[in-house]
Amino acid sequence: MEVLATAALGVALVVLGFGALVLRRLLIWKLLGLNVASGGAILFLVSLSYRPGGKPPLIGFPAGIPSADPLPQALVLTAIVIHFATLALSLAYAVSLAEQLHTQEAERIEEATEEEMER
Amino acid sequence: MTPALMGVLGYLVLGVLGFLTTRARLLSGIALLVGVTSFSLWFPGFPPDHLGLGIWAIPWQGDPLAAAFWGLSLFLHLILLLSERGWPRHFYALLTLLVGTILSLVLSLDLFNLYVSLELTSLIAFLLVGIEGRPAQVWASLKYLILTSCGMILYLLGVGFVYAKTGTLSLLEISSTISSGDLGLSLGVGLLVAGAAAKGGVFLLALWLPTAHGYAPSPVSALLSGLVVKMGIITLARLSTAFPIGNVLVAIGLVTGFLGVLHLFWEEDIKVFLAYSTMSQLGYILLGFGWEAWAGATAYGVAHGLFKALLFLAAGRAETEGRSRHISKLAGRLCTGTRLSLGVGTLAIVGLPPFIGYGAKGLLSSAAPPWGKWALFVLTLGTAASFTKLLPSIIRGKKAGMADGPPLLLSAAIFGGGLFLLIREPALRSFPLLLSTVGAIIAGGIVSPLMRKLPVSLPRWRLDESFLAFLFSAALLALWFLVR
Repeated sequence: MEVLATAALGVALVVLGFGALVLRRLLIWKLLGLNVASGGAILFLVSLSYRPGGKPPLIGFPAGIPSADPLPQALVLTAIVIHFATLALSLAYAVSLAEQLHTQEAERIEEATEEEMER
Repeated sequence: MTPALMGVLGYLVLGVLGFLTTRARLLSGIALLVGVTSFSLWFPGFPPDHLGLGIWAIPWQGDPLAAAFWGLSLFLHLILLLSERGWPRHFYALLTLLVGTILSLVLSLDLFNLYVSLELTSLIAFLLVGIEGRPAQVWASLKYLILTSCGMILYLLGVGFVYAKTGTLSLLEISSTISSGDLGLSLGVGLLVAGAAAKGGVFLLALWLPTAHGYAPSPVSALLSGLVVKMGIITLARLSTAFPIGNVLVAIGLVTGFLGVLHLFWEEDIKVFLAYSTMSQLGYILLGFGWEAWAGATAYGVAHGLFKALLFLAAGRAETEGRSRHISKLAGRLCTGTRLSLGVGTLAIVGLPPFIGYGAKGLLSSAAPPWGKWALFVLTLGTAASFTKLLPSIIRGKKAGMADGPPLLLSAAIFGGGLFLLIREPALRSFPLLLSTVGAIIAGGIVSPLMRKLPVSLPRWRLDESFLAFLFSAALLALWFLVR
């Protein structure tokens, strides 16, 4: 039961993050929405390693006792690193845009850059 | 498999070293040598093998698709090393890393390994698009980042669903159980397809593509359009070996092909024009994989990589020589070499024999179902009609500045590859195929002035519109898989 709730919570976070991406006008909120959504995907993935009564899967663990599935945990570690890198890069780009165009609003940035390319 | 692994590792190590030293271009050249040596050792292929130990080993396979893309990646790497000087050193380091990642991606048959490689190519591509730091490029890159990251989040959810249902991530071991009507598995596959398609430049899911490829520095555009965007398509092709998604690939291929051509008619910015043309060309490749015509789809992927790289490099020169990105303002201002490159690229993309575009289109067409031949005919007609727009700039211009090494090398590959296909495949020398191709090109030339007179204003795909289109089409795809 807990595992279903956790997985559903992960999917809900993805939906919430996507919602922020649509509804918020400021770039920084959109990027935070993206980060919430990737957190949701990670939560969903790690909830899959749950086994009823499972113990942490460590080396030297006695056989015969149920252990949590180690594979999703390994995947999640990789995914966290990737999402961290993506977030860092997107924030750096957002700062660069804010410095050059003096705005954080997606629509205004869009108009300013379209003008730049028209020239 | 060991030589291929050594090649990939060599590329990645030399790429990282490139950030630390001042001789990044030299290191990139050494990486290319390592790659070529490794390729010559494992060519023409190796059977599926496992990387690592136990049940978590990652399956790798050197099939013809992987071999073709190794060849294309190494060749484009050589072209960019020859043509690009004077970039900051991290440009060359990123180039090395990007090619290395692509070399590993095309060999992989593991859902999560594909995910990591896709994300890595995206991250490097974001850095390359914004490398000059101009706001339009940074914004194009950020849109690319946001939309593909959302796609990859869906892909990750899909990995979760498939792993929960099958207990494995290896595409070799996942049997085609989707027809059993398991809702979780169907939804998972739908999410995987939507995620990979958002990365692979499929229309309505990947509307970051026109600005990212259009506004990036020209050598980067050449690499992105020629190589990087096809990684999503290759992922879709790999998925189609484990799951029955052929019909979906045909459907999204048709949508991408036709909507891309539609945008081509009324787009005036030369590089954005080429970017939309990439989207429509990806439609051909998707159709090929959907029809299980792997030879044709692979040939088309390589052919498009060659001629689109040539076109983007030429467009970069045209932008400098013509002091404008507007196609109608370029006529009369371009030098001979640029016009020659644009000409060869145009003839190849519309599929005039004996250029490689014809061979690849012919291979696809001979494997297509009867209605598919008509779809390809109309697509070719549309491509030819829209590319007539470039003719004035190709015909009129200065008589100075001959083509130099890299464009000539690319043109030679386009011509030689076409001749190679013509000699090897007897199906390409059939009279009806020749007639229909040339007929489509001529009809396109006639239709073009009529089409361009229509007053049409196409939507501008800003971030919010693109994201809503992405959500809409991802939901549509998921629904398709659930209902089946």
